Amino acid sequence: MTDMMIETRNLTKKYKGTPAVDALNLAIPRGEIYGFLGPNGAGKTTTIRMLLGLIKPDSGVVQIFGQDLKRERIKILRRVGSLVEYPSYYGHLNAVENLETIRRILNVPKSRIDEVLHTVGLTKDAKRSVKGYSLGMKQRLGIASALLGSPELLILDEPTNGLDPSGILEIRELIKKMPQQQGITVLVSSHLLSEVEQMASSVGIVNQGKMIFQDSIPNLQRKAGSEIHIALSEPDAAMITAREQGCFPRLDQGHLVFKGIDNGQIARLVAALVDARHSIYRVEERRKSLEDLFLTMTSGASNASSERHEASAPRAAGLRKEAAR
Amino acid sequence: MIGKLLAADLLKMRRTGIWWVVFIGPVGLAAMQALNFGLRYDYLVYDAYAGDAWGGLIESTGLFVPIAIYLAMTLLMSMIANIENRQNSWKQTLALPVRRSQVFASKFLSCLIQLLVACALLSGSTLILGLALKFDGPIPYLDLLTSGLYPMLAALPLLGVMLWLTLTVRNQAIPIALGITASLVSVFGASLPHALPLSWPGFVAHGQQTLTFVGLGIAVFIVLYLLGSLHFSRKDVA
Repeated sequence: MTDMMIETRNLTKKYKGTPAVDALNLAIPRGEIYGFLGPNGAGKTTTIRMLLGLIKPDSGVVQIFGQDLKRERIKILRRVGSLVEYPSYYGHLNAVENLETIRRILNVPKSRIDEVLHTVGLTKDAKRSVKGYSLGMKQRLGIASALLGSPELLILDEPTNGLDPSGILEIRELIKKMPQQQGITVLVSSHLLSEVEQMASSVGIVNQGKMIFQDSIPNLQRKAGSEIHIALSEPDAAMITAREQGCFPRLDQGHLVFKGIDNGQIARLVAALVDARHSIYRVEERRKSLEDLFLTMTSGASNASSERHEASAPRAAGLRKEAAR
Repeated sequence: MIGKLLAADLLKMRRTGIWWVVFIGPVGLAAMQALNFGLRYDYLVYDAYAGDAWGGLIESTGLFVPIAIYLAMTLLMSMIANIENRQNSWKQTLALPVRRSQVFASKFLSCLIQLLVACALLSGSTLILGLALKFDGPIPYLDLLTSGLYPMLAALPLLGVMLWLTLTVRNQAIPIALGITASLVSVFGASLPHALPLSWPGFVAHGQQTLTFVGLGIAVFIVLYLLGSLHFSRKDVA
């Protein structure tokens, strides 16, 4: 409680009766990179807008730095840097002028502009009008604006949306450096788990406005679990051999798939299979991908509301197939 | 705080062409009168306005002052709002440690400054025109100064509406349509009922109950401003 940078309790926002954010409890400790994850329309942006005081919650409390956002909004915002969805910029101004409009309000020394431009690698293009920037550069300018006031908390909403792979990599490296170098706590939202996995230290997953998982990344990975796949000749006959060894695999495209099996068991099993004159092509461990886990979690939640279920199930199945390939 | 916001807002207006509007409006009005007096100098100076050429100049400029002011308010406010609306920069501006009411006030002050500059330019260019036309008689400095200022103050109610609409409605077609309609209606200013605020700058430009309408304009504006500011401070930012 004492060292929570952001804490929300029962945060709720309804649009025309349907909750976009539903009794959300967010807890982000100091020094973390917190990945805020969920499919499009899960309520991530709505939550972030409430954290920044851009929209008012219907009910619930937002505490940032242990202070109530409703009462201390200006004091809190002075210590927060933000980038909400696609970047905001003034296209007719150049990068320095863009940052200057914010600097005049934050009242920080002029040298900060050069510093943040250097941090995001825009020094060379600082005097060009922002209209002509690529999306990646605009996004970096957005991050520079967020960093200008030397914030303790950085809130980035989909910072890598629409960027190419090298742009994504750049932004990711930039974000990863922040907690170590400057002691900044970062909240970064995304709909891509793989991305969050690569930079976040803890993660919260929302779906349909509800928090369905909130823990550290290692714990999430542990939850994903792993399976042993054995590819061999005559798999049907091998099933019987395996059962004789006390293992109960399932057959999947000519592979025997074992769940929750230890090293000794595998060794014995392989020996028995070789004895039974099977040709073993490969034995491999397959981690259930986090994407799969994510999809099970998010589609599991939508099972509850039956009308969404039908729409999302085939799509999830399709995605799983794609992931398998 | 408001000073810092205003400084930031004025910087945002660089290279947007806003100051061109401020410049071209009043100078254009004076140019029109230059043409008017140039073409029919003898008739206007020795016949229609005989003995009071300065007054004649101010009066014939005044015919076009209300419509110009209404158009300027519409155009300027929509350009000011557009700076934030275009890339939806509201979410960035309002996530800064600023009071929303002060952001609103800063946008109003930006526009007011521009309108005052335009009024000063109108007085200045009318004065230069009068001197260039070699009018006799004493120069009526006070009348020149108020020829733009008083109608502008009487026209403030429209600015109150424009402030609110342009800063809260994403689609600028709505406030612009309303502003242009108001400008066109104001041409018939003197024949409109007194109760209609749109007619007030027209009356003022003709020198009828000047101070009453100026006071009314300011009073109605204050009410509209407070309502707009209240709504702006409370609304959700998309």
